[in-house]
Amino acid sequence: MTTDYSRQEMMAIATGREIRDGELAIFGVGLSMLAGYFAQAHHAPGVRAMTEGGVYGARPVGGLPWGIECNRLAVNAVSFTSALDALGCLVASGRCDVGIIGAAQVDRFGNVNTTGIWDGPIGEIYRPPKTRLTGAGGANDIACGAKRYLIMVSHEPKRFVDRVSYVTSPGYLDGGDAREQVGLIGGGPSAIITTLGILRPDPQSREFQLDAYFPFSGAEEILSNTGWDLKVAADVRVVSEPSSEELAALRRVDETGMLRR
Amino acid sequence: MPTNKLITLAEAVRRYTWDGMQYASGAALPVGSDAIVFGRELLRQQRRELHAIFHANTQQLNLLAAAGAVTRAECGFSGLEGFGFANGLRRAIEQGRLVLEDFSNLAMALRLLGGALNWPFVPATVNIGSDLQYRRAFEPDVHPNPNKIPSVTDPFSGKQIGAFSPLRPDLAAIHVTLADPEGDAIMLGTEWSRFELSRAARRVVLLADAIVDTDCMRQYPNLVRIPGIVVEAVVYWPFAAWPQASPGMHDVDEAHMKAMNVALGSDDGTAAYIRDYVESYADLDGYLDLIGRETISELSNGATAFLLDPYRRWLLPHAEALALTAEAST
Repeated sequence: MTTDYSRQEMMAIATGREIRDGELAIFGVGLSMLAGYFAQAHHAPGVRAMTEGGVYGARPVGGLPWGIECNRLAVNAVSFTSALDALGCLVASGRCDVGIIGAAQVDRFGNVNTTGIWDGPIGEIYRPPKTRLTGAGGANDIACGAKRYLIMVSHEPKRFVDRVSYVTSPGYLDGGDAREQVGLIGGGPSAIITTLGILRPDPQSREFQLDAYFPFSGAEEILSNTGWDLKVAADVRVVSEPSSEELAALRRVDETGMLRR
Repeated sequence: MPTNKLITLAEAVRRYTWDGMQYASGAALPVGSDAIVFGRELLRQQRRELHAIFHANTQQLNLLAAAGAVTRAECGFSGLEGFGFANGLRRAIEQGRLVLEDFSNLAMALRLLGGALNWPFVPATVNIGSDLQYRRAFEPDVHPNPNKIPSVTDPFSGKQIGAFSPLRPDLAAIHVTLADPEGDAIMLGTEWSRFELSRAARRVVLLADAIVDTDCMRQYPNLVRIPGIVVEAVVYWPFAAWPQASPGMHDVDEAHMKAMNVALGSDDGTAAYIRDYVESYADLDGYLDLIGRETISELSNGATAFLLDPYRRWLLPHAEALALTAEAST
């Protein structure tokens, strides 16, 4: 039994466990790339990973890439194409099996805000945010087109809100079949993996509920860090601790120790 | 007789830019190769009120926004990835000095494709259903906004989708690794949307890390994704993307990336940055001295340097590229 691991490492490993061998996958920079390449290093050697600019077949060398077009990825790629190709032909088309995105805020239906933080609701007239964030990037395209996607986010009350002030990347919008109603091709978020546990959508209402907590957390801690009346699944379970093989694989990918800070 | 399109950076900005124009950057984004030095020259020549079309933010937009040269911008990603938030851009947005219209990264590529093909609109299956569709920064008082990504009916299925407006920027300054004097170009690394942009923009200026003999293009014509027939002018400028990376040529300058973003986080820092890194050099050699010859040598020996190997025999020496530039300018 391993006990020496960080909450961020547990989150990355739990996310990686959602990725299956052979899948066509797209990862962004940072935590999502660590989780994705951990899966490849550990249990999914045949995962077909790409970046949104069209870097294919690459594995990061020399540490976590600074960006999706970083030389740490360009160094061993087998194909360079374009955003239209990667995000369009392979993701928005509905072909990509799984993507991983991050969030500044996420709500009960898995809608993600990465655009800005306002002092309350925006209102009818659009106005600049108090704090401008990084915008949609390719996350909206992944959220619209990928067969399923995973949201990785630190579990804090300010991030888990009843309704995001700005929907940058659509989850299940207002719930139910709202995604299908607006014509989105992809299947939506299959899980929100946090620093405390895993939330999954109810198949009908599409509202996220607590599916599992980590060995070091519990339902109570998760509820008090969630800004809506989070439902707890009847069969809520505890996620198994990282195995020593999993931790070793993750730490080979995270060679600069980003997840242990 | 082949045309020599090599001109100086200062001449390119004098000739092809003006206040209030739609200016597009062609790059591998957000922290990949971008013709950042073109933005420095826009500031040196005090261009104002620019409407910036950036597929995603880079240190160039970050700098132009911090300096107050951009009043409107359209882009997808607006951060600096591993280097954090883009302090100059975010401050300009938060203070209301710059209005940013948000799209996704695919949306920007599709809109450029629409411009390249001269289509009336591009079908949108992304960005729909989110606030990227409903909120329009350029028309803030209409909500939900029907004019940014209007809903249209697919004539075949009868389903509702969205419509993206095409982009036709006045000028695209596109970073390429290799160009010949006629403007045929090879990009090492991903194109992002440089192919579409090179056809969508009304005018294209290339910023090339190196000038090669046209025989190089004849050896690898499949790799020449931007042919000279769509190119107005070529600027020879090694390290045009600095402090960002240019695969095959050089790595990212991590220390300068961080210091630059810290500087752009305040008005005083921005003024100091402009004094020290925008207005301080007289010409290309002065710019390379500013980066530092030792830094240049370290960054050039990066892990991707092998990508340049097939092309090395055609690289024109520095002096020859400068002589060709001088020849075309007279």
